[in-house]
Parts: sequence; structure tokens; C-alpha cells
Amino acid sequence: MPVLVTKDLKENIQQFETLFSDCADIKKRKIKVGQKLEQECYIAYIEVALSSTDWKDSAVGKFLQTLRDLPEEDLVSYVEQNVEDISDSQPFETIEDAAQGMLTGDALFFLNGYDKALKIPDKGYPGRGVYETESEKVIRGSNEGFSESVKLNTALIRKRLRSPHVKVKESFAGRRTHTNVDLVYMKDLIHPGMLEEIEKRLGEFEIDGALDSGIIEQLTEKRKYSPFPQFQTTQRPDRAAMAILEGRIVLLSDNSPVALILPATYNTFIQTSDDYYSRWEIASFTRMLRYLASFLAMTFPGLYLAMTNFHTQILPTDLLLSLAAARQGVPFPAVVEVILMELAFELLREAGVRLPGANGNTIGIVGGLIIGQAAVDANIVSPIVVIVVALTALCSFAVPNEEFATAFRILKFFFILLCGSLGFFGFLVGILAVLIHLSHLESFGIPYLAPFVGADLNGYRDERDTFLRLPLDFLKKRPVYTREGARTRLKWKK
Amino acid sequence: MFAENRKISLRQVRRLLILDIFGWSSLMIPGMLSSMTGADGIFCLLFGMAGGMILLWLMKKNLQYTQKNYYDYMKDMVGQIPGDLFMVFYFLYFVTLCGFVLYQTTVLVLTWLLPEGSYVWVSFLLLALAAYGTLRGIEGRARIYEILFWFLGIPLLVMLFLALQEVRTDYWTPIVSSGKTELIQGSISFLIFLLPLTAILFLKPFCRKSEKLADCGKWALILVTFMDLIIYLILLGVFGKNTLGVLRRPVITLMGMVNLPGGFFTRQDVVMTGVWFFALFALLHTGIFQSTLILKEMFQEAGNRYSMCISLFLAGMAGIGFFHNTFLLEVYEIYQTWIVLPGMIGILVILLLAHQIKARGRNRKGEDASCGKNIS
Repeated sequence: MPVLVTKDLKENIQQFETLFSDCADIKKRKIKVGQKLEQECYIAYIEVALSSTDWKDSAVGKFLQTLRDLPEEDLVSYVEQNVEDISDSQPFETIEDAAQGMLTGDALFFLNGYDKALKIPDKGYPGRGVYETESEKVIRGSNEGFSESVKLNTALIRKRLRSPHVKVKESFAGRRTHTNVDLVYMKDLIHPGMLEEIEKRLGEFEIDGALDSGIIEQLTEKRKYSPFPQFQTTQRPDRAAMAILEGRIVLLSDNSPVALILPATYNTFIQTSDDYYSRWEIASFTRMLRYLASFLAMTFPGLYLAMTNFHTQILPTDLLLSLAAARQGVPFPAVVEVILMELAFELLREAGVRLPGANGNTIGIVGGLIIGQAAVDANIVSPIVVIVVALTALCSFAVPNEEFATAFRILKFFFILLCGSLGFFGFLVGILAVLIHLSHLESFGIPYLAPFVGADLNGYRDERDTFLRLPLDFLKKRPVYTREGARTRLKWKK
Repeated sequence: MFAENRKISLRQVRRLLILDIFGWSSLMIPGMLSSMTGADGIFCLLFGMAGGMILLWLMKKNLQYTQKNYYDYMKDMVGQIPGDLFMVFYFLYFVTLCGFVLYQTTVLVLTWLLPEGSYVWVSFLLLALAAYGTLRGIEGRARIYEILFWFLGIPLLVMLFLALQEVRTDYWTPIVSSGKTELIQGSISFLIFLLPLTAILFLKPFCRKSEKLADCGKWALILVTFMDLIIYLILLGVFGKNTLGVLRRPVITLMGMVNLPGGFFTRQDVVMTGVWFFALFALLHTGIFQSTLILKEMFQEAGNRYSMCISLFLAGMAGIGFFHNTFLLEVYEIYQTWIVLPGMIGILVILLLAHQIKARGRNRKGEDASCGKNIS
């Protein structure tokens, strides 16, 4: 049963302090206001969320100063009449709502004789501000990255899309964390069904804490056992803005610098922001490289095993002899050798990620060069396997999205086992299994393999932005995610 | 959502049909035609295509009158029991087709890719994959082959182009030297390879522009005949009539002989086996899907698990039967020639006749009613 805020300040204070007993970080102050300083008010806030050094210059400080200039009898009526003039303030009728308001990082104000609690915004929780993204680097384009504040992130998108059609729908996730989740979209471009679907999915679960967008991602995915992500992730506001312009929806979660974009397809994971900022020739070339990389990141070690263990007739004799010579003295079967090296590489990668910056780089050098060379010299692995593993790693790094690349890293082991035991037949079976899986996979109703499949839905126009990124002139229409009738992206003025 | 309507596009149907009939026809028809008719095999391909066109015309006519699905149409035209019998006929066709294709695919794998593998395990793996692909309906299945189409087509075209330099045109003669019986036999053989096109009869509820289904079949037929013709001429020009007649899968043997410029890969037969592996798997998948669909419609199953399990079991048994008893292969050939082909044509003709008779009956009733009105 919610407790109502009353006109009796003492009662309100008692209720509030009971709720926040043993909370050393919550600062509570009784302050006298009015010209004679006879009227009592009560301010509560989270310690670092309110400017304490420049108190007088803050919104709360200015507000209190105004109250000190007014006669006691006018205070309540002033607050009642001017609630909306105090920047972004919000009145609450219950103690619980007021407490929730304060926990968003703002100050809470109670006044004797006033039966509401007033939330007054200040600087809020500490955050990082706008920094350069650590992933999704581009050669050309903005370097701004999302931060942990959802408000800052929506502002970064709004900065790029200055249109009233950009809508931000706010909801909360997490019973105990009350995490802000914002859906950002262009109202006249999205399929309304898509918005309904994500709102429905967000409403389907109740979790105690949603500390990152990754938790929301996993709880709203339909195919939970698929290694492939069904949301695209990005830390780049320009990428998010671009997605919104394509009629997609961006989901921002407070405390997470990673935005989720829906729907997502194989093709969208391969695209990068600077594909559209650079000339089409180089954009197409790098796009094709990335497609090839995504394939090889999954299959290269398996193909090596199939060719060297089962189908040596494919290779020219000279190459075959040099491969055999390289393996001389290696005590393990090739499949064990490859698995060992791949696991060693994954270990190095994990160690590199967990260690602080400079140490992480050192681990890469120590692992890659020294351990690799030592393993070859000790005849534990052959040099060719080191090359295969290194090339596979390069391919996985060339996939622009980390979550998407992870799927290939996992499937790589599936291919190693299949090809190691069944040769090229295992490779074909693996490809078929992955293809069947991908062809069944959908992200919010969009086939994962679109626009390679189902391209007829948009008159086959989406195929112009796949392996090749044709000149912008050819990309006059938005992709199939956009609502029908709103798909014109570019037109020339006469 | 708009992609979940379980409808497939005409491009998907076209590519599906192309892979269905191209895989097994290009693999088996050249050897068969060469031993029967030599260079005249090209006429058999053309006559077979003409036969296929007639079959497609019959299908097109029936599709025009199909309202909901083919099963309901059959029941409307000839009644419940004959309708069920026709469905059993189609079911047997598709399930035995699965068994045969499973046998062919497994033998292909064991011959070219995994000589020491187990027939049963390879078959099991293929059936498991087909089951996985069938579980989630036709849309996923259509997408697989839509995407595979060019990945298989481009390497094949490149290899065929490179094979041209090995062709000896004097092997293409003598021409018009075969008897009528051989030509008819050859044409019928090719026509039998085109029979999976009948799957389009069942696709009406699943296709976005179903009125053009028969046109998809037509284009698939023309393209496959054209490809088979090219492959046949190349094979004949490379191997000659006598050698081609005894080779079991000559097109893959040819792939092993083609030299890629640069010489990095010395033999491509293993890699190119993938093309026929995927194409044969497409047909296997079609067979499982169709037989499952037929059972599902006949027994009005809510999902498709039981129907699929029965189809998979029967196909697996048939595949093992073909492997262990070559006599069954001869029986299958006779079954295809003397039961399936006439049966397919017969059913389509009966349905058309039944439709004509019903239409006339309706017209007569209409005339009688209008006469009655005039008299009164």
C-alpha cells in the first residue's frame, strides 16, 4: 500500500527516513526557508549526485534561495503555482514514487504544508561523459561513442537526427534496479508491428536487475539457443542514427554504452559506418573482405584439416610435401594440434581482454610471438598450424561486430570436429547445418539472411547494399525494415 | 510480422525447382543417354523437355482450378476415396524418390568424399539434416536454396567453361543414328528426371503469386534442359560415347580432369562434388517435405512431427534397401517408367476431365434454371 505524502512535514520525514534507514549515502537535510527562516523544509539526495561545492549555483541552491526571499505564508502557494517553472521538476504524491524519483539521481524536496514531494534535477549520477569508442573504429567519420548514461545517449542520437519524428519511448526494466530503457525510432519510418513486438517482449519478463543491455538482449531474443545474435549492437551514435533512418529501432539501456538495434540481419552485422562515408569502390571491396572473413573465421581450420587429412589430392605435390615436412616430428594428430592451438589462442585473447591496457598488449606479443615460436621450435605444433590459427584469428577480428564474430568463434570448433572426423563431407554437412539454421532464423520477423533471401519484398533493391555497396545514387530506397510508402531515401532536386 | 506469413516468392520456387531437377539429372542422365543413343542424346533431352512442357501445361490447367490446396481440389473433382488414393500415389512417389536420392547422395559421398565411411551413418546424418530443415516449414527451406543458387552455379559455370578446351567435336558424331525405340526410351528417361516438378501442384498455398507457379516450372525446365544439354555435349566431347556410357557419374569425373589456371589446386572433383551434394540434398529435402505434407494433409495433423518421422523412416528404409539389393534399383526404374509417369499424367488428365464434366453439369443446371424462369 503506497504511503501518501501529507501536509505534515514531520510525518513525511518519518516515513522517508524509515524507508531509507541505514543508507549512509543518502543525505537528508532540514533547512529553514522564508524571509524569517521560520518555515521548515526537507531535502534529500544521493551524496555525489548533487553539486556540493557549487551548491548556490545548482538548481536546488537557486530554488532554496528563492524560497528564502519569500514570506512564510506565501511559500506553499508559490511552490504549488511554480512547480513547472523549476527546470524539469516533478511532483510526487506518494513516498515510494518520490523515493524512486530521488534514486534516479535527483534531489527530493518536502515542504511543511505542501502535500507533495518535489523532484529537482541536478547533475545526477557521475558518468564518463562522451568518449571515443573502443570498438567499431572507423577511418572516416565521427569518433563519438555512447556512454553509460541513457539520457546522454539519446541526446547524442537526437544531435544527429534533428527531427520531431524521432520518438523516445521510456520504460523500466529490473524490479530492484529500475533501469531506464529507451526505445528510439523514427515514427514515420518504422513498421508499427515492430514497435509493438519489442514493447510486448519487454513486458514479458520481470527480473530483479537489468544492469546492462546484454541482459535485456538475452531476455527478449526469440531463438535463445542460436549462437547468432538477433540484435545488432553498437557503441556508435552515428551507427544508431543510421539504423533509425532505415526504419529500425534503437534500444538504449541506462548504465550501458552498448545500444541494441533491431531488427538485425547477417548483412547489417557486416556493414560499418564508414561503408557509407567512403567511396563505393573501397567500401565494396572491404565489405567483400568482411564477408569472406566471416566465412573463413568459421571454416578455415576445418578446411585445413579436411584437405591435409582426407583429400590431399586437391593440393599440388610440392605444397603437400612441404606441409608434410612441416609436420615432421609433431607428436599429435593434426586435429589435436589445431584444437590445442585454437584453445591457446582463445586463452591469450581472454587474458588480453581481462588484463589492463598495456599488459593486455604485452600478452598478445608474448603469446603470439614468443609462445608460438617456442611451440614450433619444440616440435609441439607445426608452423603451418600457427599460420592457420593466426589467419583464422585475423578473419574473426575483421568481422566488425564482436557479438557476431563470437558466433563464428564458437562454430569454428564445430567445424574442426566435423572436418577432423568426416573430411570435406563434414565441411559440407556443417555448412548445410549452419545454412539451415540461419535460414530459419529471424529477427523481429525479418529473415536473418535478408536481403539475399526474400528480396522480392522490396523489389530486389536491397541487394544493392550487400556484397557490393553500390554508389549512393543506386541506394535511393530504404531497406525492407522501413514501413511501405516511406522508403524513399534519396531523390534529386530538379 | 511480415516475414512470418509462410509464403515463398517465385524466385525461391524457381531456384528450388532448378536445383531439384538439375542435381540428379546432370549426374545420371549423360551416362544413360550415351549408352542408349550416343550423340542423339541431345534429341532425347529436347523431346524430354517437350514432354515436360506438356506435363507442366496439364499442371497449369489443374492449378488454375485449384482453390485452397491440391488435396481438396482432388477430393472435389473425384471424391474422397479416389482423392485419397491419388494422395497415396503421390506420397509413394515422393517417399521412394527420397529413398533413391538418399541412396545416390550417400554413394556419392562414399565414392568421392569418405571412402571408408559407413553407409548407414552417412544416410542417417543426411536424413537428420533433412529433418532439421523440414521442421520449420517451407520458408526456411526455400531460403536455403535461394542463397545457395549462385554459390553453386558460378563455380559450375566456370568449370564447364574451362572444360571446353578438352572437348573433341568429332566425338559429337555420328548424329541421327539411333533407332526410334532408343530415342523414345532416352526421352522418357529424361522426362522421369523432370517429374519432381509435380511438387508445384502442392505449393499453391505456400506461394505469394501462385498463379505463376507453372511459369516457374517452365523456366526451371528450360534452364535445366539447357544446362544438361551443355554438360552432355561437353562430356560427350571429352569422353566419347563408349567411355561416357560406362562412367557412373561422369560429370564429377570431368571436374577432376579440369585444370584451373595457376595450378594451385590440382584436382577439383572433391570440391565440385559439393555442387551435386547440395543439389541432391535439395531434392531429398523436397521429397521429405512433400511426403510429410501429404501425410499431414491426409491425417490432418496439427504439427508435422509424426508425418515427418514416418516419411524419414520409410525413406531411410528405402535408401538402405537400394544399397543392399541392386534388384530394387531395377524395380524402381520399372516403377518410375510404368507406374509413376503414366500415373502422374493420368491423374492430371482425370482431374481435368472431371472438372470439365462438373463445369458442363453446372452450366446445364444454370441453363435449365434460366429456361424454367423464362417459361414461368
